[in-house]
Amino acid sequence: MSEIWQGSLEKIDDYRWRIPKSYKAGMRVPGIIYADEKLLKDIRQDKALEQVANVAFLPGIVNASLAMPDIHWGYGFCIGGVAATDPENGGVISPAGVGYDINCGVRMLKTNFQYDEIKNKIKDLVYALFSDIPSGLGSKGDIRVSTREERELLVKGARWAVEKGYGTQEDLECTEEYGAIQGADPAAVSDRAYERGKAQSGTLGSGNHFLEVQVVDQLYDAELCDTFGLTLGQITIMIHSGSRGLGYQICDDYVKSMIHCLTKYNINVPDRQLASAPVNSSEGKAYLAAMKCAANYAWANRQCLMHLTRKVFEKVFGMSWQKMGMFLIYDVAHNIAKIEKHKVDGKDKTLCIHRKGATRAFGSGQAALPERYKKTGQPVIIPGDMGRNSYLLVGTEKAMEETFGSTCHGAGRLKSRTAAARSINVDVLLKELESKGIIVKASGRGTIVEEAPQAYKDVNEVVGVVHNAGISRRVCRMRPLGVIKG
Amino acid sequence: MENYELIEHTADIGIRVKGKDLKSLFKNASLAMFEILAEKKKTAGEKKKKINLKQKADTLDELFVNWLNELLSLSAIKELIFSDFQIKKIDKNNLEATLIGSAIKDYKVNTEIKAATYHQLKLKQAKSGWQAEVIFDV
Repeated sequence: MSEIWQGSLEKIDDYRWRIPKSYKAGMRVPGIIYADEKLLKDIRQDKALEQVANVAFLPGIVNASLAMPDIHWGYGFCIGGVAATDPENGGVISPAGVGYDINCGVRMLKTNFQYDEIKNKIKDLVYALFSDIPSGLGSKGDIRVSTREERELLVKGARWAVEKGYGTQEDLECTEEYGAIQGADPAAVSDRAYERGKAQSGTLGSGNHFLEVQVVDQLYDAELCDTFGLTLGQITIMIHSGSRGLGYQICDDYVKSMIHCLTKYNINVPDRQLASAPVNSSEGKAYLAAMKCAANYAWANRQCLMHLTRKVFEKVFGMSWQKMGMFLIYDVAHNIAKIEKHKVDGKDKTLCIHRKGATRAFGSGQAALPERYKKTGQPVIIPGDMGRNSYLLVGTEKAMEETFGSTCHGAGRLKSRTAAARSINVDVLLKELESKGIIVKASGRGTIVEEAPQAYKDVNEVVGVVHNAGISRRVCRMRPLGVIKG
Repeated sequence: MENYELIEHTADIGIRVKGKDLKSLFKNASLAMFEILAEKKKTAGEKKKKINLKQKADTLDELFVNWLNELLSLSAIKELIFSDFQIKKIDKNNLEATLIGSAIKDYKVNTEIKAATYHQLKLKQAKSGWQAEVIFDV
């Protein structure tokens, strides 16, 4: 691994640290990192903090370049980064602030089952899920989409899937942006991107994407658990996937064109991967319109994946999914840029919020939330690694004040894939997981090693920081029982 | 392959690759990328497919990144893994090559590579030839 980051870091309080604007000439705002001393030790091990400082160079950036406790080294932006830019003040949009896997995100659904009722069926269930849900690189789904339909899908997002019979209106209410962000323009998407995304709807993908059967193992807020209909020992499901090849190609296409915008618009950034263009420029508008298409594709994809999951449960348990209470709690994006209204110095501002490995965490009362979550605040789903835990949190007022309504997105990587592959034996790992009652099925053994718990930070510590800092609140914790990996 | 080494990166994978000239640098980087991505199955057939490719860019760095990303993109849509790259012409703005690949089903895929990035990208000429460093989003 690289040398320890030696830059200047000021302690604000136990959970907040500042990289002062004076750290590097060209920083327009300071960097703020949410972490405790223990996590910070790991965070200093790679170049993530330098990337927080680099993002502070972006024209029009507001308040601070923010990083969540799951921060780690990415390309351009760090993973776990949040940056708001003001289009009225020359604010830019950067594809690196979204990433190649546009609207990579996660959804959580519940069931009526208690662990004790189905513990003998978990293995059958995991094998059936693995067999019926396409996963792995370049995997193709049974859900086929014609070229004409694909354009419709890019505009309608999860609604397209619901209209095809793969879900309900209620599912859409329980999805960020109701499953379709407005302003998607299929004309901004290249033919190549269409081709690369073809036949991948309803596929999980590979890498860190997964589908997990989980059990609620700790309640933190009894009242909220009650509202969400969650109890101790209840079986839940988590689905993590993104926009597949379509998103990668859109990002690639626009990085290619925005590299030239750095000179054209006189944008001075220390890393070319931070290629960007003013939000209000023709290039910025085109990227946003194309990015929204990929975001909608990802929501349609997760909707299809949930539909396939419900079908598998129906097959294994011989009941309708409604009878099994398989209702969606929420679906969140964690790689996205959005135009949102926020208060800055007491004034309403329309800003471009980049969340790169970060989750929207709106507090109660926000207009963007559906009625059912107006009082509770937005459900925030935080997947951990395959051996530890995942969390359900809610967004807070404090997040609205401090982080443009954002929080962490997961555990965050600790070890590189190559280091993980060197030090972890797949058979030993699978035995260890089995002894904890976790069954893993994956397309490749390599993925299991790369995604081993040892390669990740402890999600309990990461969530501890965002909870204690007040930018989201713990509702309950889950542990994995069965894991399907790409 | 002997002409490259892995660079440690927390989330992604990077390579440091060498070549005696630009042609072999581009070829070796491409071979390394597909070696990380997939390995050939023992049962694989011998059927190969050829694709001709032309690339243009404003700078050598852009040509390098565009080339690698074009290979990933073509690999995904044609469902091929490329195993040889005959680079016919290259200067800092232009490239002409023939790609040789076989069906992805003949390979065991290890890692998905989404893209080659500009982050910490370095291309330099030394006495002994060319060297490049590139980080992939995986």
